[in-house]
Amino acid sequence: MAYTLRGRFESRVAAALAPLVAGCILALALQAWWPVELAGLMLGAGLLFDGAYHRLVPYQPGWAALPLGLLELGAIMGLARLFHVGAPLWAALAFYAGSWLLAQILGHAIFPLLRLSYGEDGGELGRAGVGMAATAAVLLAAAGGIAWATQPPVVHLAAGVHEGPLVLDHSQQLVGEPGAVVRGGIIVTADDVTIRDVTVLGGEHGIQVEEAERVLLERVSVLDARLDGINVRRGQVTIRDCSVSMLGNEYGQGIDISFTADLAPSIVENCRLTGGQEGIFLDSVHAMARDNHVRRTTLRGITVTEMAMVSVEENTVEDALGIGILCSDYSMCDIRENSITGIRADHDSSDSMREGYGIVSHYWAHAEVEGNEVSRSPHVMGEFSDAYITFE
Amino acid sequence: MPLLRSVCDRYHPTVDEFLEHVEELRAATGWDESVHVARVSRVRAVDGGFEVDGHGTFPHVLLATGHPGLAWPDDLVGDPRAVHAYEPHDYAETVEIVGAGMAAATEWLNALAAGASVVSVRRREPERRPLNLPRELFSRRGLAAYHRTSRDERIAFLRRYGAPSYPAGREWDEPVEDARRSGRFRVAAELNGAPQVVCATGFRRGFHQDPLLARLVAEHGLETAADWIVLTSDSTVGSLTDDERTLALAGVPAQWAFPAADTLVAAKYAARRFLRRVRAWRTR
Repeated sequence: MAYTLRGRFESRVAAALAPLVAGCILALALQAWWPVELAGLMLGAGLLFDGAYHRLVPYQPGWAALPLGLLELGAIMGLARLFHVGAPLWAALAFYAGSWLLAQILGHAIFPLLRLSYGEDGGELGRAGVGMAATAAVLLAAAGGIAWATQPPVVHLAAGVHEGPLVLDHSQQLVGEPGAVVRGGIIVTADDVTIRDVTVLGGEHGIQVEEAERVLLERVSVLDARLDGINVRRGQVTIRDCSVSMLGNEYGQGIDISFTADLAPSIVENCRLTGGQEGIFLDSVHAMARDNHVRRTTLRGITVTEMAMVSVEENTVEDALGIGILCSDYSMCDIRENSITGIRADHDSSDSMREGYGIVSHYWAHAEVEGNEVSRSPHVMGEFSDAYITFE
Repeated sequence: MPLLRSVCDRYHPTVDEFLEHVEELRAATGWDESVHVARVSRVRAVDGGFEVDGHGTFPHVLLATGHPGLAWPDDLVGDPRAVHAYEPHDYAETVEIVGAGMAAATEWLNALAAGASVVSVRRREPERRPLNLPRELFSRRGLAAYHRTSRDERIAFLRRYGAPSYPAGREWDEPVEDARRSGRFRVAAELNGAPQVVCATGFRRGFHQDPLLARLVAEHGLETAADWIVLTSDSTVGSLTDDERTLALAGVPAQWAFPAADTLVAAKYAARRFLRRVRAWRTR
């Protein structure tokens, strides 16, 4: 087909209508925005690609839909990540594949039958094309309007010290102005809460998330918590660009996420964690710990335990006592491209695992490792108590 | 399967499949009941439409006169050795094939397959193109640019793409190369007395070769450009078309509006625009 620019746009929009409607229905059923966001992203990215194709591809043979579809898939995955579209990977891939297949059937069979001059008109759909574009615009506007109307309210925390603990028991965005500090901790008990640009001093836990989902902690700093810096129980969180200092804290963890295996995965990325027993502790969870910097812990750098399924990627673990990264107790760990350095033997312990290992797999756990660097440590890796490590 | 082949640009229906589909459409559209067959040698613009050679006056007329006849090289007219590629024929032991386009290439392969030795008589090397024209010229995208060309540009364009061509591919080249190596195929610039000459020279070209069109142009002073009647982009004759009447050309004589003129796509192109005008006719 030699598409005209208008033909590309009209065909694209017409083929996107069903996925948009499906996205709205799925969003209602799942009580999640990602299907609409994904459908909108696919349409927006597709229209941008169409602008480029128009100049580069004067005639597009049918088979070209496959490589172009894969190109668009890659771009959409990148954009979904950039815009934090919280779509489960396989569901998103299935949604894309279904939409792509539908577009092919429409373009090759249905549109040419409904409009006999479809090919001759370069993919233009006449008045129907305009109508479908209007329908798509109305759908997107309606979805966007609903999304905007149901956005959690934004609460601005002024600069200065605010006495806590703050209890966030309804959906909201708590955004700190520069210099905003909460003394005494923050407790989150509601879904769809965002905390951004806030420093927390003290508290039993610096930030505590209790049975709340879709919680985003972004650019938060936690200092001097009595137990954990960030403590999550039965919740689902994304923690990004945070800093937790636990120096001098004998028993606490920098971040502790526990007992969430039946919930959507949690993510901890790009955080700086210093001191405490463990930098990141993941117990019975589905999670990803990526690109974090863990230093000077007294028990282990990163711990994954109790049937957890966790990806530990591109983290830096420095100056930990005993163990850099532990995968334990029937857990399945994907440990890749981490830098582990300066792990010291724990001479006060009789536990052979604590003789200074970069990576340990313990008690029926299975760790898959690839591309990790372990340096200035007595041992690189070790398997204990029927656990094993495989190398990719 | 046709859909999958189409996706790969590999759908080439056979003649039988094509005719079968034609038969389906013929039955579905009631063609036989609605078509009246008559010989027409003159169409003349009159008040309220066009007078069609004594068969009546019609407000809207579409002329699809097809090719005006086979083209023969002047020096082979009446030569008993000569046969046209588009006529039924067998092959002599040695055959001279005049031409360098798709018909000539087909003749080379058929003659070689029949055991003949082939002399390809041609004045130029054929171009190798998958289709007569780039694919975008079969649809609005390419046509919009084509319709913006000036008169001289369009003449040059049509002449350029009127030059002989046939597709590239091993299925064309390998039999010829094999025959060349074994001395059964060679190229010559002139005829050289072979017992059989196949003229793969296509059809006569230009409106003046068609008596009906030549008369129409002469009687109404229609605008022409070299071999072509000048048409608007919707394949109508501008000076004889207005809100009350339509004179449209389809197929080969409509190349000014649709360059791939002797194709089904071209027929549909002209027919759809003609239909649009008929439907928009306010006194209908």
